[in-house]
Amino acid sequence: MKRKFRQILMRFFLVMGCSTLCLQIRGAITEVHAAALPRVVLSAEFLAPRPIEQRTGETVTHDYAQAWQDLAEGLNANRTDLLGDYFTGEAKLRLTKRISDQKKAGLRTHYQDNGHRVKAVFYSVDGGEMQLEDQVQLEIQIFDGPKMIYTANSTQKYLVLMTPGSDRWYVRSLESVPNDAF
Amino acid sequence: MWRMIRNFCVVMVASALPALSQTVTIHAPSSVSAGSSFAIATSGRGSATFYLVGPSHVLKRTIALGQEITILGQDVTSSGSYQAVACGSEGCVNTVFQVLPSAPARLSFLLHPSRVPVSTPNAVNGTALVSDRFHNTVIAPAKVDFRLSLAGESSTRSVQTTRGVAWFEMGSRPKQGALQVVASLGDTTEPRVIQQVASDACGLRMTATPVGHLVKLETDAIRDCAGNPLPDGTIVSFTKTDNAGRSTVDTPIKKDKAIAQFQVSGPARISVACGVVAGNEVSLGGRP
Repeated sequence: MKRKFRQILMRFFLVMGCSTLCLQIRGAITEVHAAALPRVVLSAEFLAPRPIEQRTGETVTHDYAQAWQDLAEGLNANRTDLLGDYFTGEAKLRLTKRISDQKKAGLRTHYQDNGHRVKAVFYSVDGGEMQLEDQVQLEIQIFDGPKMIYTANSTQKYLVLMTPGSDRWYVRSLESVPNDAF
Repeated sequence: MWRMIRNFCVVMVASALPALSQTVTIHAPSSVSAGSSFAIATSGRGSATFYLVGPSHVLKRTIALGQEITILGQDVTSSGSYQAVACGSEGCVNTVFQVLPSAPARLSFLLHPSRVPVSTPNAVNGTALVSDRFHNTVIAPAKVDFRLSLAGESSTRSVQTTRGVAWFEMGSRPKQGALQVVASLGDTTEPRVIQQVASDACGLRMTATPVGHLVKLETDAIRDCAGNPLPDGTIVSFTKTDNAGRSTVDTPIKKDKAIAQFQVSGPARISVACGVVAGNEVSLGGRP
């Protein structure tokens, strides 16, 4: 009797495990988790008006992860030169200004990036703009010289606009939004 | 006398106690509008170092605790999450607040393509991005009007933004010419122009006229099915097949027509085509 119950229980967990895995595969079109890059999971179930191609999804996911890595390194080392590869437009301007101000004030910011859940919500008909909603787990530490003046571990939401370049997607706008924004 | 001195000391210590035990606090409104000045309240005594860390700006200055810190609008122009920190001798305290976009004031308008054939379904699309005067994306819904006009006819579509984006898609109009599309948001307007050009040729037809040893070929005025003349420079191909073999002449349309001439040997067949459209075929009996 005990053995039968154990078998039923095992079958139940097996079925549950499989169905969870299937849901994850359907929900996430692509995922990047290279050793050095932050973990980014992109889903595009409600994307409109243009559907996203698999290859484009992979590129966007990789380039967005790369952009966050550059952002984190730039803010930690106060180096604006790290922003040139994956940021453009307003996002690049703002981050460059932030890093310059940090440098002047003797501050630096350390981001411990614990992963992004990204939802692609708008992809223009001509393929020229893609808007993303990102929910990121961040541990933020701000230092004034060697002294830590601020630390927080929180979930933040970002509204992102990405545009394609010749060989990659660039982050054109990266704005943190209130938690109830989406 | 001693009792008076003792009482005085007790009163002094008692009055100083709350101040000594008063901890440093910092309090900001939970959200403010981008570009608006506001105040951050502090409590405590003495001086501290104040930090304001935002998406595009960092501020560091010495403040007197217990007094309000005035934050100027120019220090909070970028929307997003800000950290305000005050560090005194006993450590640091902080508060986090959100800067929200101000009123919609700017439009970035992208219209695609720049040139389009007439009467083509879903060939024209436009995307408008709405932001405030500091380039912050306005998330709250706003109404964007797209006014389309061509040759005196005009129409308007109103689209509500979602997360700062409004877009439309439509077919091109039947008449060729400059299709002007103006995106507007309140007093802000962004005009763009698409050139509508004739579509494929319709009823392509040529005539052959013998001139000495040659045959002169000339098309009728080449127009699309809506009657728009195809632009000058559009290539028309004449193909001749005779005893000498097969040869083709590509010639551009000039003043609505295409003209070419061939030398023929023996019976010949000549056909005309423009893009994917084939025209009529002419048969010739021999040397003219």
